[in-house]
Amino acid sequence: MTAHGDTHEHHEPGLQHQFEDMHQQEESVSIGMWAFLAQEIMFFGGLFTAYLVFRWRFPMAFAAGSNHLDEFMGGLNTLVLIVSSLTMALTVYYAQKGNRTLQVVMIVLTMLFGATFLGVKAIEYTDKYNHGLVPVTGWNKKVKEDVSAPHVTEQDCTQVGHGDGDDHYVNPKGEFQWKDCSLVKLAQDHNYLTEDEKIGYFTNGEIDANKFRDKVRLFYYIYFVMTGLHALHMIIGLGVMLWLLWKAWIGTFGPKYYAPVEISGLYWHFVDIVWIFLFPLLYLLGRHFLH
Amino acid sequence: MQEVSAISGNSVPADEPKLNYINNGHTLKSWLLTKDHKRIALMYLVSVSAFFLMGGIYAGFIRLELLTPASDLLETATYNKVFTQHGILMVFFFLIPAIPAILGNFLLPLMIGAKDLALPRINLLSLYIYWIGGIITLWALMQGGVDTGWTFYTPYSTTFSNSYVMAVGIGVFINGFSSILTGLNFIVSIHTMRAPGMTWFRLPLFVWAHYATSLVMILGTPVVAITILLVAIERFARIGIFDPAIGGDPILFQHLFWFYSHPAVYIMILPGMGVISEVIAGFSRKRIFGYEFVAFSSIAIAVFGFLVWGHHMFVSGQSIFAGLVFSFLSMVVAVPSAIKTFNWTATMYKGSISYDTPMLYAIGFLGLFLIGGLTGLFLGSVGLTVHLTDTYFVVAHFHYVMVGGQVIAYLAGIHYWWPKMTGRMYSEFWGKISAMLIFVGFNLTFFPQFILGYMGMPRRYASYPEELQVLNIFSTAGASVLGFGLVMPVVYLIHSLFYGKKAADNPWMHPGLEWRTSSPPPTENFKEMPVVTWEAYDFGEESGLDLEDARKREAVTI
Repeated sequence: MTAHGDTHEHHEPGLQHQFEDMHQQEESVSIGMWAFLAQEIMFFGGLFTAYLVFRWRFPMAFAAGSNHLDEFMGGLNTLVLIVSSLTMALTVYYAQKGNRTLQVVMIVLTMLFGATFLGVKAIEYTDKYNHGLVPVTGWNKKVKEDVSAPHVTEQDCTQVGHGDGDDHYVNPKGEFQWKDCSLVKLAQDHNYLTEDEKIGYFTNGEIDANKFRDKVRLFYYIYFVMTGLHALHMIIGLGVMLWLLWKAWIGTFGPKYYAPVEISGLYWHFVDIVWIFLFPLLYLLGRHFLH
Repeated sequence: MQEVSAISGNSVPADEPKLNYINNGHTLKSWLLTKDHKRIALMYLVSVSAFFLMGGIYAGFIRLELLTPASDLLETATYNKVFTQHGILMVFFFLIPAIPAILGNFLLPLMIGAKDLALPRINLLSLYIYWIGGIITLWALMQGGVDTGWTFYTPYSTTFSNSYVMAVGIGVFINGFSSILTGLNFIVSIHTMRAPGMTWFRLPLFVWAHYATSLVMILGTPVVAITILLVAIERFARIGIFDPAIGGDPILFQHLFWFYSHPAVYIMILPGMGVISEVIAGFSRKRIFGYEFVAFSSIAIAVFGFLVWGHHMFVSGQSIFAGLVFSFLSMVVAVPSAIKTFNWTATMYKGSISYDTPMLYAIGFLGLFLIGGLTGLFLGSVGLTVHLTDTYFVVAHFHYVMVGGQVIAYLAGIHYWWPKMTGRMYSEFWGKISAMLIFVGFNLTFFPQFILGYMGMPRRYASYPEELQVLNIFSTAGASVLGFGLVMPVVYLIHSLFYGKKAADNPWMHPGLEWRTSSPPPTENFKEMPVVTWEAYDFGEESGLDLEDARKREAVTI
């Protein structure tokens, strides 16, 4: 573990001044990255805690919100990321082997998958924008008042909800929209509601569409913060990969010096793993209430 | 001690300074783009001191306002901003970085026998992040400041406050990463950069304390970072999980906030404990009593510190059962601190104690930390705390730990290692005077606050009933003494830079590795890789550190 006593007159490529030898340097950057990832887990941990607390309190609202996420898109993205983890692992492998060509190919593929993920995410975000599901007022598509459209009242809970061709609601300010309370009724009939829900969705014993909308909005708030921060990590990851690509292109890495590839790989895998947790929590849990 | 004798026999004339980390490069670039941990530490010293001064000025305004019962000097709204900004500057920009970023940065590589920290560029990055976070915060303060209290409690901070919560929040958020990167760097360095022979149980306790601190830094800070980010988003988007009006939970904020901010008090005090271990063992000229216990009690504090956050929320509506568990765990976390205090005292027992300035501070620390710690037990008891919550008793308690503990330890450390950092000796006479003034001024300021709090004076108010004025006058008088005592080191330490006696490489004749290189150290720390063959705090006869011998040697060379 400790530094080695021999003085180093020879200078290996990539060895920084504070280290005695490559072994010490590799060990240091590797421990550093693991410590950084521990930090990242705690960073996302706060969000996961918030998610769990509110899911525990308002399972119906979270199920309703979750149902509007596209599980196909989410599944596709999961697949894309898992494959990108494979190409990333192969990048490390070829760096160790000193195979420059395949290293570059694998980095390009990894970046391609990363970009695909972000593209799919952008499509999903656009869908939320079009359907008035962004929790921030003014950040949704503004739908002008249309006299020919059937009149929709705020308190109307009989609407079937989004995704069934009800694009004719009015939303001049771009507010968050949610009118479908069918899940609350269903849960009420089967006595599924939690104590918090019995207070949180009702006014004077009647289902209150606005109060239910606020809870669904909480789901979307958490959804956007979590996936947004995850996407930010992906973008940083792509930046790191770009740097790696340049370094690999000029032939920096080989059997003796591949630590940067390895720790970038650790980071990339970590971002993937966060998604592996986000996908079931946000897209899958609770769907069975409606299906 | 071969190094010392080699240097005293050196043929370099005394008036021509040796190449060291300070005179190795004089351009601004050589400082701003340095990777040298010692230069980064000095830049931290200047920046952190500036924030300490600002926080101190705010404290002065608080005490002046509280001189009279009515709110006459400051309007109540202004007073809210003043105590908030005092808290934010002191906690996030002084207490947390002070010892790790200044003394830790400077000493850790020296103590473990390394050329630098493992990740020097990350170290420089942490300084820049600190500056960026600080500038954003200062900008927000100049725009009009913030009035939420340093705790940013929701829903006031998210929904109702009309001050610059978002800007300050982002400043604190960014600053947090400076602390994370410092902690990360320390952990890596302690694992991989130790010199040959420097085993884990030969590490100075300062290093152990910093290891524990670093654990808290990298596991706690991100949680408060995300929490403050959520507060900022919530203010910006007008929606969020802390807003009770839409089913959000303000208590969740308190949980997330204190999950970091309670361990954060250990970020503040643990490095101070490390300093005290060094100083007490050194100036008692004795191996520390129960080395392993002191080392592991640091780790125990870091671990248990994560399990006690609920004692900040006894009256926030958490369940009584949760309260009991948190109360019990809070008693448990007091045990390792008590172990340390007993061991320091036992170290002094039959030691050959010399009352140099650092030791005066350290002895002051023992008394003040004892009072701070024991009153913490009062506040950790579920029943008693209902009476004391949000009173000046709490204020006095955490100032006894934070100022009486951390700041005093910080000053002890600065005085102890000043000769090493600058190569100059300060005036011992003025050092002792200031140490005693600070001790007296501190007690005069904060002891009356225990009584005020017990009598029911609430914290964070600009006015109070007239019958409480006498004790408040004591407190303000004490604050002036304390303030004067704190300005004195600034004066004589800066004076010493220009007129101070040149420091020997080992002015205290102490055994740590940092004393076995020149003062100030060369950029690469050691001429050659040191090989450690001795145990920590080895004052044994064969160590060559006998004070009498040393004085004789000194007399001969002069």
